[in-house]
Amino acid sequence: MNQRPENGKPNTSELTTWQFLRKSIRKADIILFLILLLLGIALAAVSLLGRSRGAEAVIRVNGEVYGNYPLSVNRTITIRRGSQRNVVRIRNGKVSMASASCRNQICVHHKPISETNQSIVCLPNRVSVEIRAAGKEGKIDVYS
Amino acid sequence: MSIRKSGGARGASSARNAKSTNGARSAGNTRSASSARRTKRLTTASMFAALALIFSYIEFLIPISIGIPGIKLGFANLVIIIALYEMDFRYALAINLVRIGLSGLLFSGVFAMLYSLAGGLTSLLVMALLRKTGRFSMIGVSMAAGVSHNFGQLVVAALVIENAKMFIYFPVLVFSGIAAGIGIGILAAVLDRKVPKQLFR
Repeated sequence: MNQRPENGKPNTSELTTWQFLRKSIRKADIILFLILLLLGIALAAVSLLGRSRGAEAVIRVNGEVYGNYPLSVNRTITIRRGSQRNVVRIRNGKVSMASASCRNQICVHHKPISETNQSIVCLPNRVSVEIRAAGKEGKIDVYS
Repeated sequence: MSIRKSGGARGASSARNAKSTNGARSAGNTRSASSARRTKRLTTASMFAALALIFSYIEFLIPISIGIPGIKLGFANLVIIIALYEMDFRYALAINLVRIGLSGLLFSGVFAMLYSLAGGLTSLLVMALLRKTGRFSMIGVSMAAGVSHNFGQLVVAALVIENAKMFIYFPVLVFSGIAAGIGIGILAAVLDRKVPKQLFR
């Protein structure tokens, strides 16, 4: 750091990294941080409060409903679309993606879901699984 | 990359030669000097693009999974934010587009490129706007970039899957965007201080 030639701002180059960082944080940064934090907390509160035990799993492929399956029945659903394949498993009232032909496997690693407002999405294959309370479609559109 | 580097050094030294030897022909001199400077900036930009691509590759190789799907630190933005501050919005945009295009073709697939593109362009736009206000430090700009990157990706995801329920993920993505953005912002601020400024002139 001492080897640096001064470039117009001689006193900043003498600060240690820690002092430099503390000095460089501005008021607007902190305000923005608080706003974003509040936004996150508010959104989290909305999605957590609106959650309850679901009754059925809705599988969508490419945005269109592929099928509704009650959570009370254990079963395995295989969705094939061309060379793409997704296997959805319902067991003990919880839904998980047992396997998928996608490359990133994010959906397979997702933890099992059982409450409304939860969903598992396989973006590469355009398959989504969401949990719904029985027959109440109107309750879903909180976020849209 | 080493080839590009030596090319850049050669360009710079030939410009210096031109300046020292034929000072009499001033018109030709300034033209060659400005073209040498352009070459230098182009070289720096392409080095930055290569660096950003490497960061993308590292993140593709070692995904940081902490139980929540699809969360990354966004190391590539380190390069982009320094390019935005030290070079220009246009350079940052070009570097970002090259990175996204190449990493899409090489690693993540063309389909995932769409998400990178959405996130990358949204965050770059937000960064450029916040930087223009002059009220934010690099850390604040990077924090906003992290959140807006996630927002842009989520919008595209919701459009692709045609399902507004994707926004369930948004609270998690806001927090992860803040955290990753601050981390990258701190790194970028520290690095930006150390990077020799002659690189960008």
